[in-house]
Amino acid sequence: MKHFTKLATAAALGTVLGTAAIAQELYTPNLAYRTGPFAATGIPLMNGQADYMTLLNERDGGIGGAKIDFEECETGYSTEKGVECYEKTKGTAIVTQPWSTGITLQVLPKTNVDEIPILAPGYGFSPMADGTVFQWAFNMPAGYWDAADMIVQYLENEGGSLDGKKIAFLHLDHPFGKEPLPVLEMHAEGKGFELLPIPVGLKEMQNQSAQWLQIRRERPDYVVMWGWGAMNAGAITEAVKTKFPMENFIGVWWAGHDADLKLVGEDGKGYKSISWSFPNMDAPVMKEIKERVIDAGLSQTNEEEMQGVFYGRGLVMSAILAEAIANAQENFGTAEIDATQLRWGLENINLTEERIAELGMEGMVPPFSTSCANHTGHSGGWMLEWDGSKFVKASDLLMPNVEGYSDLIESAAAEYAESNAPWDMNEECSATN
Amino acid sequence: MFYRTAGQFKTSYIADQALFPVKQDAFLLGIILALAWIVFPLTASEFTFQTLLIPILIYALAAMGLNILTGFAGQLSLGTGAFMGVGAYACYKMVTLFPWMNPIIAILLSGVFSAGIGVAFGIPSLRIKGFYLAIATLAAQFFLVWLFEKWSWLYNYNASGAIQVPNLEMFGVFVSGPQAASVTEYYIVLFVVTLLTLLCINLTRGNLGRTWKATRDMDIAAELIGINLMKSKLTAFAVSSYVVGVAGALYVFMWKGAAEPNVFDIPLSFQVLFIAIIGGLGSIMGNYLGAILIVGLPVVLNVVAGTQVFQMSGLGAGMLVALAAAIAFLGWVARSGWTIGAVAGFVVLTLIYGYAQTQGVRIDSALIEHINVMIIGALIIFFLIIEPHGLNQLWRLIREKLIIWPFPH
Repeated sequence: MKHFTKLATAAALGTVLGTAAIAQELYTPNLAYRTGPFAATGIPLMNGQADYMTLLNERDGGIGGAKIDFEECETGYSTEKGVECYEKTKGTAIVTQPWSTGITLQVLPKTNVDEIPILAPGYGFSPMADGTVFQWAFNMPAGYWDAADMIVQYLENEGGSLDGKKIAFLHLDHPFGKEPLPVLEMHAEGKGFELLPIPVGLKEMQNQSAQWLQIRRERPDYVVMWGWGAMNAGAITEAVKTKFPMENFIGVWWAGHDADLKLVGEDGKGYKSISWSFPNMDAPVMKEIKERVIDAGLSQTNEEEMQGVFYGRGLVMSAILAEAIANAQENFGTAEIDATQLRWGLENINLTEERIAELGMEGMVPPFSTSCANHTGHSGGWMLEWDGSKFVKASDLLMPNVEGYSDLIESAAAEYAESNAPWDMNEECSATN
Repeated sequence: MFYRTAGQFKTSYIADQALFPVKQDAFLLGIILALAWIVFPLTASEFTFQTLLIPILIYALAAMGLNILTGFAGQLSLGTGAFMGVGAYACYKMVTLFPWMNPIIAILLSGVFSAGIGVAFGIPSLRIKGFYLAIATLAAQFFLVWLFEKWSWLYNYNASGAIQVPNLEMFGVFVSGPQAASVTEYYIVLFVVTLLTLLCINLTRGNLGRTWKATRDMDIAAELIGINLMKSKLTAFAVSSYVVGVAGALYVFMWKGAAEPNVFDIPLSFQVLFIAIIGGLGSIMGNYLGAILIVGLPVVLNVVAGTQVFQMSGLGAGMLVALAAAIAFLGWVARSGWTIGAVAGFVVLTLIYGYAQTQGVRIDSALIEHINVMIIGALIIFFLIIEPHGLNQLWRLIREKLIIWPFPH
């Protein structure tokens, strides 16, 4: 038991030392996962995020004169480690990036008490769009319900009315995979197609023969996939093996990882993935990153990885955070902003075409804006298609029809607030809107 | 010297059967209880509560439940994670169906459900033993996790399929959920864990504990001296699953705050089993030592690794020296050449690490995580080599040495 005292002192000591070292900078920790079962998909995203912040530190000396401390805390995608990281970093952090639906679910109620903005670009809980209820949570530029809506729109545009058709919904049997079900069910009812949910358990990710046997038997017109990590590679190789027509196979943005498709190469031609980001290699920011970060040896990425969709997405995520920081600095007239001020910054993002061009990110992210009531921005996205060696844009910008499910957002948010009562809401915001 | 038992006479059977026949033991326990009940809550930070104190207590409780079944009654189980899940889901259903229910009562009652399920899955133990029984409990593990996923009534038809802990009040204070203060949660966990530890110590010392041990050591012999094997095995399953279920309820309600079904999957069962084995099968205190090693140490290593070794304050440096000294002390107790190597390795590693930091080598958190896993793995092997019967046996040796110190025999 003597150990116990030592451990406690060590922990206390560590926190004291840790806080002293980073007081001069803006501390924006990232709960990264470069280890564990999902590392292959995590690494390019983490590299992209870190490299953009390194670029800002190298080129501009940070944001508004304050350096960015973009420290990573390794979670290995485990919720326990994630909560540990959150507790460790929350003392001085001005934002938290939880990086998994499991960690988001646990951290979300805590951030409302600790008053730290939670930035979950393109993941997390879809009703977070309702900023009046989830005043500390942000999932811009688009949520899963937007993704489901855009995929249905795309299918309608391409193949005509969905009436009487059958859509298989292959998803991870996990909060993340179940997330788009309410919107898909709503559309199935409204548009008259048959929705066939096919869950893939966490243990079956690599071996989906049973699920694809079911798909072969049911002969759906389309397969929509909500997959992550090893599940994507498993599904794509199974689809090739069972000769499912790839052009009728569409994934969410997390199912559009170059490495998964490279496994099948030409055979994967026609596979699609909806995305709110695109790796535009001609964008000025890519050249600058190549010059100042990668060639300077400040990055862990490599030539091949930086051309992928996920690396580009990592850059966009950090750009959104940087934009929010800059907003807040300008509005409050101080370089060292705190968590509450950053929340204002995140609520007042206005990424117009011009602003995106100014950042050197043309074509990498659709324009969008947020407000205190709208924490998602609903940017829309492009349908990306695998051409055998890389992803290319296969559609114009698709916009989600948010009115169609705004009631759903509102009721789900209200339900969350009720089951977590007492839940602090943003009363000012509801009054002005 | 510190543990001299000379002069402590037992003059009655009651004194001989006391929980702590040696005065120093009771004194030591008093210090530990004072630390746990008074000093830690006053000094600990939010981080210490959430990543060290609360999880160590909860994991120790779960391991204690498993230890009753595996260590005392000799029935190997691989379904601990699922039984924890039963406790957690039962507690969730109770507090959502009956919001007026006292949270502590709900937590203590939720163990009853897992005890029932445990007995049901314990019935095969009457016919099968050893590895075959382990497979039968593995079936429970897979079946129950599947049930948590598929039976949506269990999670109140929540779209995400996860259970979220609501804010629960007791006497006007939030005790659970995001609004609850860590210190309140800690006290509740500590109260429940203290209560159940007391219960388990006395159960294992008493009549029931003796029948369990007889069953474990040789079931045919136990039957011949008149022990009802069915009763013995099923009570072990019931008590064990009760404790594990309560630990599961605490795990979600007092610590995690939310849980999806796969949290209760087999890695959790293994983690609890490792704690029980490394702590020492057939012991109560070993569970705490095992939980400190497996749950607490990685967190501490992570924090220490994140700080600058050579810029550490005197306190930090002193702590590293103390850690090396503790290992050396263990070596003296266990009389093993391994420890000298371990101390040398520890010191060399610290120096290399400190040197690398001064040279500005970037040590990112993923690398720290890899090294951390390696160190913990090496420590587990190290402890099992110097004492295969677990940390509890190591403590027993230390205590015996201290009693006869300074004489070697």
